[in-house]
Amino acid sequence: MAATRTLARLATRRTAVRPALFTRGLASVADTHARDPISKIAEKTVPDAARKPIPESKTSTVKEPEPSKDAKIKTFHIYRWNPDEPSSKPKMQSYTLDLNKTGPMMLDALIRIKNEVDPTLTFRRSCREGICGSCAMNIDGVNTLACLCRIPTETAKESRIYPLPHMYVVKDLVPDMTLFYKQYRSVKPYLQRDTPAPDGREFRQSKEERKKLDGLYECILCACCSTSCPSYWWNQEEYLGPAVLLQSYRWIADSRDEKKPERLDALNNSMSVYRCHTILNCSRTCPKGLNPALAIAEIKKSMAFT
Amino acid sequence: MLSTLARASAKPSSPLTQSLRPSFVRTAVPKSTRIAAFHATQRQQILPPLPQTIEGTANDPTPVPTPEPVHGSYHWSFERIVSAGLIPLTIAPFAAGSLNPVTDSILCALLVIHSHIGFESCIVDYFPVKRIPLARKVAMWALRIGTLTLGVALYSFETNDVGITEAVTRIWHA
Repeated sequence: MAATRTLARLATRRTAVRPALFTRGLASVADTHARDPISKIAEKTVPDAARKPIPESKTSTVKEPEPSKDAKIKTFHIYRWNPDEPSSKPKMQSYTLDLNKTGPMMLDALIRIKNEVDPTLTFRRSCREGICGSCAMNIDGVNTLACLCRIPTETAKESRIYPLPHMYVVKDLVPDMTLFYKQYRSVKPYLQRDTPAPDGREFRQSKEERKKLDGLYECILCACCSTSCPSYWWNQEEYLGPAVLLQSYRWIADSRDEKKPERLDALNNSMSVYRCHTILNCSRTCPKGLNPALAIAEIKKSMAFT
Repeated sequence: MLSTLARASAKPSSPLTQSLRPSFVRTAVPKSTRIAAFHATQRQQILPPLPQTIEGTANDPTPVPTPEPVHGSYHWSFERIVSAGLIPLTIAPFAAGSLNPVTDSILCALLVIHSHIGFESCIVDYFPVKRIPLARKVAMWALRIGTLTLGVALYSFETNDVGITEAVTRIWHA
């Protein structure tokens, strides 16, 4: 019985039906050359001096404090910018660490650098287990949480850590999230109800209604998806971005909420939702494995013809 | 380029050396920048980011726009219907093998609408109203004129010539 159930589940799984040619896997840190854009060639021939930080080849390298024998030395290039020296350009600072003395995750490496090598390195971190969303940053070209991102163990490859792309940088790896939180506030992320519960105690849900919220309530608002979305890069001021739209859909889909028409009306204009062109970078990069693009599609579907 | 020139000419040098220097000796602009300025590959930022501005305090929500279904949900539904309708309309005349002026004209009309909506979406994406209102207006009017021209052109092609289905068939068999 169990075997047939497993077989049935395998057969109905989407990956089993869909040919591999059309699938687009999750963004991965290991496969760096897959994401090399064509513009990289242009950057090599004519370097863009105005925008790029000073490369690591022109800055000093901070070495591992006491390298032991048979040390696994790995190099990390980290984006640095200090607001106390506003006239100096941002730069890439290199650090070498012995992986034998460092924890397995990128966040461990950052914390070790801050503790033992360079206390001026600035980054946000809190829970170190992927539940707070503080340590979102761009690691080897992928927006992810540093605490959920393993350090690739091959020491020949060098890791590059940047703040979240297209955000205003406060310092080093700390982006300014003010606009993101203001947008989150604008979708009214709380239960809106006028009628009291029928038994006067609590607002009950059926199991099916509760199931609609799975894959939505887990979002920790790390902004990895929003800052990976080209539409959000170009139109941050007006387009809400995948993270906020996922949260908006979390309340639209909630059976206990009674303000669904008002919530949809707030999104019903050309900019708030419809700047989503199903690029799907959001679903690809989400460190929690959620699917913001599906939530946006559901919003569009529920708004169609209304 | 101007900024690099200005930076190069603003080198700390006393006025005396400035006046003593022969006038035909130019300021030391690095050769690479002089060449790069005339290269087509000189990359410039098209819309460089402005300094950050936050409307209201950090605790205010961003303003919620007034609902405009004509530009929102109606527009999207209409666009989806047009896009979905184009698929059978493109295949049908060739699959059926018959030339029907009605399907041909519907195909033309939908093509015009579809391309208009597509380009409009590009303009909305890349010409933000708040940042470059004039460029946005110019682009939108250029698109409207282009769409109108396309419509008139397709109409005359349909009425005076063979029509697009027949034209594609002929090019295919040519």
